[in-house]
Amino acid sequence: MSETPRQITLQEWDRGYERLQAAGVSQPTYGGPLGRHVDEGDARLLKLRFDNSPAALRLWNFLLTEEDRLRAARDNGKKLVGAMKDLGTVPVMAYSLDNLVAFYPDGAWWIPCVMEVNSGLLQIADSLGIDESFCPVRAMLGAFVTEAHFPIPDLLTCSVGATCDDFSAIAQRLNGLGYPILWWEIPHRRAPEDNEEGVHLPGGFSAPRGQIEFVKAELERVRIVLQDLAGRSLDDEALARGIVKANRVRELLARLREVVFTATPCPMPALEMLIAEMLAIHFCSDQDETIAVLQKLLDEVHRRVAAGTGYSSVQAARVFWVNPVADLQVMNLLEDCGGRICGTEYLLAHALDPIPPDVPPMEALAQMALADPMVGSAVDRAARIVAEIRRFGAEAVIVSRIPGASHCALEGEILGEIVREECGLPVLEIEVPPLTDAVYPSLRTRLEALVETVANRRSR
Amino acid sequence: MSRRAILALPPRARRPCYCALAGTRQTGLMMLSSIESYMARSEKIIAYTCPYVPAEWIAAHGLRPYRLIPLPREGTPAIPRLEGLCPYARAFANDVAAGKDVDAVVVTTMCDQMRRVFDLLGRRTDVPVFLLNVPSTWQTVAAQRLYLDELKRLGRFLVRLGGHEPTREELARVMLDSVGWVGPPNALPRVWGPLLNPRVSSTDTSLTRGLRTHPTRSDQRHPEGVPLAIVGGPLMQRDRVLFDTVRDCGGQIVLDATETGQRGQPEAFDRRRLAEEPLTELAQAYFHIPDASRRPNSELYQWLKEELARAGARGILFHHYVWCDKWHAEFTRLKEWAKLPVLRLDSEGEGEMNSARVRNRIHAFLETLQ
Repeated sequence: MSETPRQITLQEWDRGYERLQAAGVSQPTYGGPLGRHVDEGDARLLKLRFDNSPAALRLWNFLLTEEDRLRAARDNGKKLVGAMKDLGTVPVMAYSLDNLVAFYPDGAWWIPCVMEVNSGLLQIADSLGIDESFCPVRAMLGAFVTEAHFPIPDLLTCSVGATCDDFSAIAQRLNGLGYPILWWEIPHRRAPEDNEEGVHLPGGFSAPRGQIEFVKAELERVRIVLQDLAGRSLDDEALARGIVKANRVRELLARLREVVFTATPCPMPALEMLIAEMLAIHFCSDQDETIAVLQKLLDEVHRRVAAGTGYSSVQAARVFWVNPVADLQVMNLLEDCGGRICGTEYLLAHALDPIPPDVPPMEALAQMALADPMVGSAVDRAARIVAEIRRFGAEAVIVSRIPGASHCALEGEILGEIVREECGLPVLEIEVPPLTDAVYPSLRTRLEALVETVANRRSR
Repeated sequence: MSRRAILALPPRARRPCYCALAGTRQTGLMMLSSIESYMARSEKIIAYTCPYVPAEWIAAHGLRPYRLIPLPREGTPAIPRLEGLCPYARAFANDVAAGKDVDAVVVTTMCDQMRRVFDLLGRRTDVPVFLLNVPSTWQTVAAQRLYLDELKRLGRFLVRLGGHEPTREELARVMLDSVGWVGPPNALPRVWGPLLNPRVSSTDTSLTRGLRTHPTRSDQRHPEGVPLAIVGGPLMQRDRVLFDTVRDCGGQIVLDATETGQRGQPEAFDRRRLAEEPLTELAQAYFHIPDASRRPNSELYQWLKEELARAGARGILFHHYVWCDKWHAEFTRLKEWAKLPVLRLDSEGEGEMNSARVRNRIHAFLETLQ
């Protein structure tokens, strides 16, 4: 079933779902009408507009059924690993063992948005002393207390060191509530000095050999605990197989991004692309299904490009987006204002890079962890953003601040400065709270102004 | 200095208890003069504010350590933004940018905002900036080794700045001389020295008045005051008015568990280890400074448990800056943990600690404890 690409409402999707069923389009076991998620409290879905392809429907259903998958995994005897502040390192290790399932408790940061702050999670965080001056990831505390959004994992890991203060403080609060955490250190990445051997990292950064060795040793500690939890060996061979599989996800995402960010008209909306990228972090608790979901999306995108169909016209302002948004609706808004996404850095660029297959697995994973744009300087991150801006031909940059996030206080300023210096592009810095309803008109005005600025620059 | 000579020196007392900015200990002043003469060969000033930067290591390189406790300064700020930014980090960056007398700056990774300040200073000032990677974890040998390696890297930075690589004996001598150093005065800046050391200043400004009268554990001038502890991150210079306010309201601070206070001091050096491997001993002493940012931060609570009992505190003032996540997050936990009443004092770094509101709150808090 293929229709002209169109963004549709939830009600339209539910009617579309009936047509899909009537047409005999098969759906995975977690499939179904999106409307059922609203019944479970995901009220924000009523305000979003979704891509009308079956591939997008599968993506959304996959995202919104993760809790069911985690509970089913536990029922099937698998052990759950909550990999906190970890964008794609420990999950790769955990999925190398077939009786472990890793997930990303930090992902609870979207619950206040998706449930329109009706979940009570933020109130619980408030009561624990973690108020609105913290990043919305504080919702995770409430999720642990209520046990209503994910099962309590059998093992909690958390990277600390060169990470944001919000999460580190929240994780410590969690630890103080009696949840044991395996802390592993990720040092601030720096360039090698004259007397040091340097290692080129995926993504273009470099680090001293000593830092790689240190992180490797930290991950070895994690490996031992994962082995104990699984009751089986996590040897290099198993890790290598896990890396191959993780790279399959990354490869699919790389192709998806390449096509979507460069084709005109744009074959897939910003919102679905954001969700797709997030799958790279922990595979939404099912690595095989992640691959299947991404493959379907890629097929749909190829079909649309071949047919010359999509969303935006050539007039759409080509925007590079920095940082994920706490309110998903803002991705719709960009397109409403005449923009389209041509490049992203949602804090997880390194989780999209292939893990080096030609070095020992633990070395490769240590390299990936150190390649995280957030563990290095903002200047490094800006360099990567500038390279991607040039690659995808973006005409403007939006730096989307996360309310209360420690890195957002200064980083946006540095990123903006460097992008202006290097690319001469307009940069807009906005703050996106979990629900933007109150600031929606002003956000709209600001995005429209950016799009107009791009149009004016073109006509000069 | 020979190893034998080092061992012959009198043993160091237990970590001294004092208020970091008070400068009231005679031993501190005495030792300060010897350190200053040691450093006289160079006038290069290395500014830092994090307690995990060992002043002795900088001094041993023949450079002058200067623990910059922000005022903060007036004038055009390097960081105009207020939203989301820790006032202390902002004030530190602005003071560094505005200062003319600093030859280099050392910041650490202990908090994310200061880590970002490193980026900003690197772009907006001409001053060489060094980022010292202080691990958040502390329970592994690898983390301790990382810190030691970082100190060695800092040493190479200091040599590039014109310092000299110290011999073990030189470092040991500086460490021994540092016995009794009193926080910031061990790093008196050219410009702020008189402000930080009441014995040096004869000017009775409101700022110095606040600084010179801080009570300490050994200060028995107000034995009748209700004993309080102050717990939190670093205090700015003008926030030290809190000590006067507490005294004026009928209390006394018997434990300064802020980063700029007793809590931010390293462990006492082990004389035997100091003689054998002074840098290792230096790293060991500084690495175990208890702080909210360590993971886990159980050492902080262990330290507080012992020190609160030792000091006999009957209440806790909990001071934190808005947007300082790591200390902010500890308030409720501390309240749950402590068996003492806790008064929260949050600050935007705008001198609120000198406000009538804060005075009233402290007064009311003390009334409940009398």
